[in-house]
Amino acid sequence: MRLEILFASFKTDLKAFFRSRATLFWTLAFPIMLILIFGAIFSGMSEIEFDLYVQNLDENDEFGITEGFLQGLESTGYINIKKVPIDEDVKSYMNKNDIKRVLIIPEDFSETIIMSQQNPNATDTSNLMFYYDQSEQTTNQQIRDIISYFVTNTNMNISGGREIIGLQDVTTISGEFTYIDFFIPGMIGFTIMQTCIYGSLERNTKFRKDGILRKLLTTPITRSEWIISKMLFQLFLSFLSTVIIIAVGVLVYGLHVHVNALMITIIIATSFLFTGLGMMIGRFVKDEESAGMAGGAVTFPMMFLAGTFFELDMMPEFLQIVARILPLYYVNEGLRDSMIKLEMANATTNTIFVLVFAVIFFIIGLVLTKWKED
Amino acid sequence: MFIKRYISFMVEKKVRCPQCSNIITSFGNPGEVTLVTCPSCGNKGKVTFKKVDVSDDVAIEAYNLKKVYGDLVAVNSISFSVKRGEVFAFLGPNGAGKTTTVEMIESIRQPTAGTIKILGEDISTSFDKVKEKIGILPQEYHSFERITVRETLEFFSKLFKKRVSIDGIIDAMDLNDQKNKLYMNLSGGLKQRVGVAIALVNDPEIVFLDEPTTGLDPKARREVWEVIADLRNKGKTVFLTTHYMEEAEYLADHIAIIHKGNIIAEGSLSELINKYGQESILHIKNCTTKDVIDMLKERDFIASMKQNGDVQVKIEHKDQVLEVLSILRYECAEYDSIDIRRSNLEEVFLHLTGSKLSEED
Repeated sequence: MRLEILFASFKTDLKAFFRSRATLFWTLAFPIMLILIFGAIFSGMSEIEFDLYVQNLDENDEFGITEGFLQGLESTGYINIKKVPIDEDVKSYMNKNDIKRVLIIPEDFSETIIMSQQNPNATDTSNLMFYYDQSEQTTNQQIRDIISYFVTNTNMNISGGREIIGLQDVTTISGEFTYIDFFIPGMIGFTIMQTCIYGSLERNTKFRKDGILRKLLTTPITRSEWIISKMLFQLFLSFLSTVIIIAVGVLVYGLHVHVNALMITIIIATSFLFTGLGMMIGRFVKDEESAGMAGGAVTFPMMFLAGTFFELDMMPEFLQIVARILPLYYVNEGLRDSMIKLEMANATTNTIFVLVFAVIFFIIGLVLTKWKED
Repeated sequence: MFIKRYISFMVEKKVRCPQCSNIITSFGNPGEVTLVTCPSCGNKGKVTFKKVDVSDDVAIEAYNLKKVYGDLVAVNSISFSVKRGEVFAFLGPNGAGKTTTVEMIESIRQPTAGTIKILGEDISTSFDKVKEKIGILPQEYHSFERITVRETLEFFSKLFKKRVSIDGIIDAMDLNDQKNKLYMNLSGGLKQRVGVAIALVNDPEIVFLDEPTTGLDPKARREVWEVIADLRNKGKTVFLTTHYMEEAEYLADHIAIIHKGNIIAEGSLSELINKYGQESILHIKNCTTKDVIDMLKERDFIASMKQNGDVQVKIEHKDQVLEVLSILRYECAEYDSIDIRRSNLEEVFLHLTGSKLSEED
C-alpha cells in the first residue's frame, strides 16, 4: 500500500468534485434546499388515521364506560386504538416497542363519570394522561388536538361543559424537539446514501465504459489501493455534507446537536454500506443510463419509506414493516438517537444494525466488483 | 528452471490427416518437427512448429494464444512476435479479434490458452514486474473529465516508480497550449494525444495503442500518426491495433493481418504486397507517339495501349520507372500525364479473404 498513490487519487477526486457544478449541487446544495423547503412547509401536515396506544387502568368499569369512550374516540375516523397491557410500565413499553405516544385511562375514569351523573355539583375530574415522544411533535400535536376535541365534546354531553374528563400531557424524554430535529439526521443519512451509491456507480459504469479501469489495471496501482482511495474520498464527502447540513440546521433552525462516537461510527459505517450497495448495483448494470435508473430505483423508495422526511407512524402498517428491513431506516434512527435524543441504548442497537449491513454490503460489493474483463 | 521455460514454450497445433481428413492435435516447441500418427487411420506424418524469434531483440512473444467465449472462438491459437523498436500493426476489420488479443497481452483479459511473454517475462506470473515497463492507451479511452491535462499526467505518473518529467512529455506531445485545460474540453484528436502522453509517463519500453485514431477526422488522425512515428524514432516498441490500412501502411514496420480470430498474413508492407498484392502499373495518359509501345516491348516491358491512347506498363522494380521515363524522353513522346498505381494492403486483404477490409467494417 503506497500512501502517495492514495493521496494522488484522493486529490484527483477532490479536484473533479469541486469542478463539477452538478455534483456540488446534488451533494451539497440539494440537501440544504430540502431542509429549507421541508422545514418551512411541515407545520400544516395532516393525516387520515393515527395509531394511538391506550392503557386502560380502569378495571372496575362494570358499565363499559371506558370502552364506550374509546369507541367514540375511534369513531372520529382519525384514531386507531391499540391496547397496552395493564401491567406494563408505559415509558419502558414505549421505549421497548418504539411507540411515540400512549393515552392512559385512569383507575377512577368510569367512577368519576358515574358520580358526575349522580351528583351534578360534583367537582371531581378524571385526568387522561397523554404520554408522548416530543421528537414527533407534529403528529403528537395533531393527535392531542383530536383527543382534546373529543374530550371537550364528551364533557359537554355528560355535564354541559363541566370538566369531568381532563387531559394531561406527559413527555417521555426531556428537551424541546421539533420537526427539524427529526429531519436533519434523516437528511444526513439520505445525503450519504445518495453520494455513496452514485459515486460508486460512476466508478463502476462510467470509468469502465471510458476505459479508465482497464487503464488502471495495466498500471502498478492495486485494486485495494484504488478502492481504499475511493473510500477515503467518500468518507470525506460524507463528513463534509454532514457538517454542512448540521451547520444549516444550527444557523437557520437553532438545532441542538450532540457529536459523539456513535454518530461518527454510523456516518463511517453508512458510507461503507452504501458504497458497497453501489458496487453491487454496478456489477449488474453496464451503462451509465441504466446505472442512473437502477440507483434511483433503490434510493427513491428508501428515501420515502425509511423515515427520512416523514415519521414512520404516519405510514400504513405494512409500509412500516417494509421500512424496518431498509438499511437507511437504521441509519436515520441511529443518527436521531445519538445526535439529537441522546438515547444511547437505542443508538447502539441501531449502530449495530448499520454496521452489520455495512459489513455484508461492502464485502458483497468487493467480491462482485471486477477489474478484469471476461 | 530450464524445464519450466521449456514447457512454457510448448504450443498446440492442429493438422488434418491427408489420408482420412481426421483432425490431429499435436504439441511441440517452436521450430521443432514432430512425428505424428493419425489415431484414426494410422497414417504417419511430420508436423512443423513455426519458429518464433526468442532473442533479446524480441519485445512481445505470443504462442498459441486462444480466447473462447462459449461457442465463439474470438482468437484462434495465434502466435507472433514483436521486435524491439518496431511499430507492429495488428490490422483487421472490427470483430476480427484485435482488441481481444491486445487485451490478453495487456493482462486485461484472461486467455483461454496460450503463453504471452513481454520483455522475456511470462505475464501470467510476472505482469506486476512488466507493468512498470509498458504504457497503454486502451480502445475508446476517455480520461477523468474535470481534471486538467497536466493534473492527469501527474496522477498517472505517481502510480509508477519510474517517472519522466511531465513538462518534457507535454513538450514532446505538443500539449503546452492545452496543459491547463480540462480533459473534457479537448477535441477528439487532442484527447487521443493526451491518451498517448499518459501511456508515456513511465518512459515505457513498449507502448500499446488500441485503435488510437478511430473516430478522428483526417487531420486529427494525421496528428496522432506523427506522434506514433515520433515514438518509433525514439526507439519505443509500438503495438498498434487498427482497422485503417493506410495507418498500417504509413506507420508499421511489421504487419499482422487478423481475420476471424486467425492471423492470415504477416510481414513487412513490401513483403505482404510482393506476396499477395498485384503488380504496380505505370499509366501514360493519352500517349500519341505510337513507337513507344514497340520500344518498351523491345526492352522486355509488358506494355499495352488502350483504344483511347493510354499506355499501361507493368512495373516490377522501381528502377524500371526511370527506364520507362528515359524511353519516353528518347522517343520525344507526347502525352498528357504519368502516374503509377501501386498495390496496397486493401488488395492484399482482398486477395486473402475475398472481401475488402472497408466492407468488413
